[in-house]
Amino acid sequence: MQNLGSLEETILLIIMAMSEDSYGFSVSEAYLEHTGKSISISAIHTVMSRLEDKGLISSEMGGETAERGGRRKRIFRATPQGVAAIEEIRNSRQKLWGLIPGLG
Amino acid sequence: MKNKMPTPPKWADRFLAWFVAEDLIEEIQGDLHEAHHHRAVKYGHTVADRQFIKEVFQFFKPYAFEKYSRAKQFLPMLDNYLKIALRNILHRKGFTTINLLGLTIGITAVMLIGFYLKYELNYDQVTPNHDRIHRVMNKYREQTYTCMAFNGYDESTADSQMMLVNLLETYEGVENACQFVPTNSPIGGFEQYFLEMDGKRFTVENGLYTNTGAAFQAIFPQRFLVGSPETSFSSFGKIILTEMLAERVFGSTWANQDIIGKRLKIQEETFELGGVVANVPGNVHFSFDYILHQDRIPSWAGYTYLKLAENQAAEPILALLNKDVAKYHPNFVKDELWKGFISLPLTDIHFSNGNLYELKPTDNRAYLATFGIVGLVIMLIILTNYTNLSIAMYADRQKELGMRKALGAQSLDISLQLITEAVLLSLFCAPMVLLMLQYFLPHLNELMGIQMNESVWLNGWVILSVLAMLAVAGVLSGLYPSLVYGGRSMLHLFGKKTATTTSNRYFNFRNTLTTAQFTMVVALLSITYFINQQMDFVNKMDLGYQKEGVLFFNIDGIEKYMQLEQKLLEIPEIAAVGANGVPGSAMFNQSTYKMKDTDITYTDGTEQYMGYGTVKTLGFKCEACSLLDSGKEKIYVINQTAADKLAKAKGISTEELIGETLVTEPEYENERFGYGIHHTIDGIIPDYKYFSLKHASQPLLISIVKDPTYVYEMLVRVNTSNMFATQKKIEAAYSEIETTRPLELGFLDERLNQLYEDERRSSVLLACLSLVAIIMALMGLAGIVSYMAFSRQKEIGIRKVLGATTGNILLTFNREYLILMGIATTVAMPAALFLGSKWLDSFAYRIEPQFWVVLLAGLAALLLVAFVVTLRARRAAGMHPVETLRTD
Repeated sequence: MQNLGSLEETILLIIMAMSEDSYGFSVSEAYLEHTGKSISISAIHTVMSRLEDKGLISSEMGGETAERGGRRKRIFRATPQGVAAIEEIRNSRQKLWGLIPGLG
Repeated sequence: MKNKMPTPPKWADRFLAWFVAEDLIEEIQGDLHEAHHHRAVKYGHTVADRQFIKEVFQFFKPYAFEKYSRAKQFLPMLDNYLKIALRNILHRKGFTTINLLGLTIGITAVMLIGFYLKYELNYDQVTPNHDRIHRVMNKYREQTYTCMAFNGYDESTADSQMMLVNLLETYEGVENACQFVPTNSPIGGFEQYFLEMDGKRFTVENGLYTNTGAAFQAIFPQRFLVGSPETSFSSFGKIILTEMLAERVFGSTWANQDIIGKRLKIQEETFELGGVVANVPGNVHFSFDYILHQDRIPSWAGYTYLKLAENQAAEPILALLNKDVAKYHPNFVKDELWKGFISLPLTDIHFSNGNLYELKPTDNRAYLATFGIVGLVIMLIILTNYTNLSIAMYADRQKELGMRKALGAQSLDISLQLITEAVLLSLFCAPMVLLMLQYFLPHLNELMGIQMNESVWLNGWVILSVLAMLAVAGVLSGLYPSLVYGGRSMLHLFGKKTATTTSNRYFNFRNTLTTAQFTMVVALLSITYFINQQMDFVNKMDLGYQKEGVLFFNIDGIEKYMQLEQKLLEIPEIAAVGANGVPGSAMFNQSTYKMKDTDITYTDGTEQYMGYGTVKTLGFKCEACSLLDSGKEKIYVINQTAADKLAKAKGISTEELIGETLVTEPEYENERFGYGIHHTIDGIIPDYKYFSLKHASQPLLISIVKDPTYVYEMLVRVNTSNMFATQKKIEAAYSEIETTRPLELGFLDERLNQLYEDERRSSVLLACLSLVAIIMALMGLAGIVSYMAFSRQKEIGIRKVLGATTGNILLTFNREYLILMGIATTVAMPAALFLGSKWLDSFAYRIEPQFWVVLLAGLAALLLVAFVVTLRARRAAGMHPVETLRTD
């Protein structure tokens, strides 16, 4: 499997969890909401372009609004590989958790 | 009502649009605008704007950039330029190496001169508020004393020594006044002592005695590494070591030991360690290894300094002091010889001249300016040479440039390419220059006897100035060919020549430069030769006594002298022992004298008091000394210079002076003689060279006694065959008699050599600079000749077709330079003779600069030039005409 950094993992999870469109600004808002920490939009963009390079998410343009001055968004969505990667991570974590006595 | 859309700052938005790649701009800008909108609603416009700007700059990173395309708009084809530059450099390894070597040597020489000038010009500038610090000095007779005599001189008490400083501190506008005496000074007697601690003994060289520690610290703040000014200067009986001495005494871990309050012994006196201070920088006018803070300074005078309040001029203070002289030194009031006190700004001390008992050798600003000019000239040579060499290098690349133009390169592209190449090439030298600096700096320090900071790498301005100089050299050398070739038409570059400038074959700009360079080379060579001739002359001069095999050292008083004399004379290798009168000292205080019953009083007498042993040790001629052999206790002799003056004053011949009465210090009133001290002249001795040969012969008035009653130095004549063993024997004898002071054995011939140390140093430095200038000039020449040979290929071909031999061709090349070198030598002649004469003027005994030296230097330069010219032109001259002419 591909290596995922912890920020990449978090962002991927957020994209998968979000019900509305996930794009730079909305993900940064969701990140703040879920983790309590703020993150710059540029950081989101870099991470998402890295995830896309790895083939874990795919994107398409669309959904322009007046707030954006009529500019389209790049909307991301997890690919099957992305879902598989997250599952793999969960499995390996769960295995490890099971080994910890008194936690399970 | 419709909400007006909040807009983010326009400039930031534009900036974002400018740098972000085209395919990313829509989503990024969209996101940022959306975020701005939300924040504006939530937190207001100001916060949103600030956040927006922040986010824009957060996007300024490679992720958002268009791949390389932006950089390419600035410097089109930069990578191609670099590649071509590297190929060209590698293609011409030999030529490039010579070119770079010249640049490296030149820049290194200029940097070293810069270092030296910076060091010298910053003398005493480390002292804070140096513009407010002045030294008080005393004018007496014809001389200016750098130190202020204590009330009571040698017999002064702790209280009377403070009279001057206390008086000065009462004046409004004087913040502090301090005085000190380093032992390593004329008035400190150049004494070395033993420092004792826990039964261990160390020889320590230079101690600074002060009785005004707090003021000393206020005027010359020392950085305390251990202890503090309070622990050191709040009471007497303290010793303060420098870092260097502390390491010697306590080992490298001194900083971690509990050393404050340790008891150290010097000269049977115990001092408490008050602290350790940082080493004194080399370019401060005084130095010390340790400070002794005690209530009395063991000398007859002290170096005295004032720190004035801001905007306080020194003159009014000095005027007050001159008026109040009775409060400090009542003897001066009626003394006709006393000419008043003056002050000297701290930073001028190093550039003062001719003052008595100066602490360190001084320097001449004009002399430094000379070095500066030499540096500048070398820099100019570098730039012109490097440019010349580059032009030569580009000469055979015209076709390449033509091809580039044919493929669509613009003038600007060609220019940019050539400049890129030149700068790149010159920057190659940077590491080499830094390495050379690192290597030569310690040598320069040693040569000039100075202590400059030797770490080149950590010093930002060193690296910056090296890079700046190289970049300038690079741009300038690239600029000329880039302007010439960049603007040239394609046809032209491919070899269609328009008219060439053969009209100014001899008097063109390039030849003028070459001639100027060689003028300087010839002049430098000649002056270096003059200096060496003079040093040789000084070495071989008959001084009137024997300098070889004489050892000398300080001795503490008559009793120890008597014991030691006896012991030393028992050693078979020792031929003679003398008391006082070691030649080669700096000039000291002069006294007044006249013949009895005449009116003319002279003020330039040097009085000497020596044992008969000194005459025997030095072996100078003294006919009157036979009187001592036949039982006389004491004789009084004068030298020829004094005799000539006095005979003239009295109107008799010098021989008739013998038996007459001489009066010294006629202003001195006493019971025995009335005025002055009377001496009967017993004899006249030849002028033996007691002082440096820089000074004209001084009138010497010498008392020679059989058994001296006052001794401070001793000299010994030894058999030179087994010097080392004899030295050991002297040391053994000395240490039996003297336990508190170490033996400092000096050799008379070395001491005399020391007198011309500065001259020797500048001669070596000048020789080095001449060498650099020669190398630079020859390299430049090599470049020009290569270029000329290349551009005259066709002419040479035609000449050969018409019957010229290779030798003929070489001759035409050399003939041109023969003329130029003739001009250079002619111009250099008066300059070298004048400057050489100027330098030699500092010697009273000197050679005359000879014109044939300049001719010889010119000839030497000519031979070198002919060699280089022949070497470079040989290939072009030897080429078959078919090779060069077949394309036409």
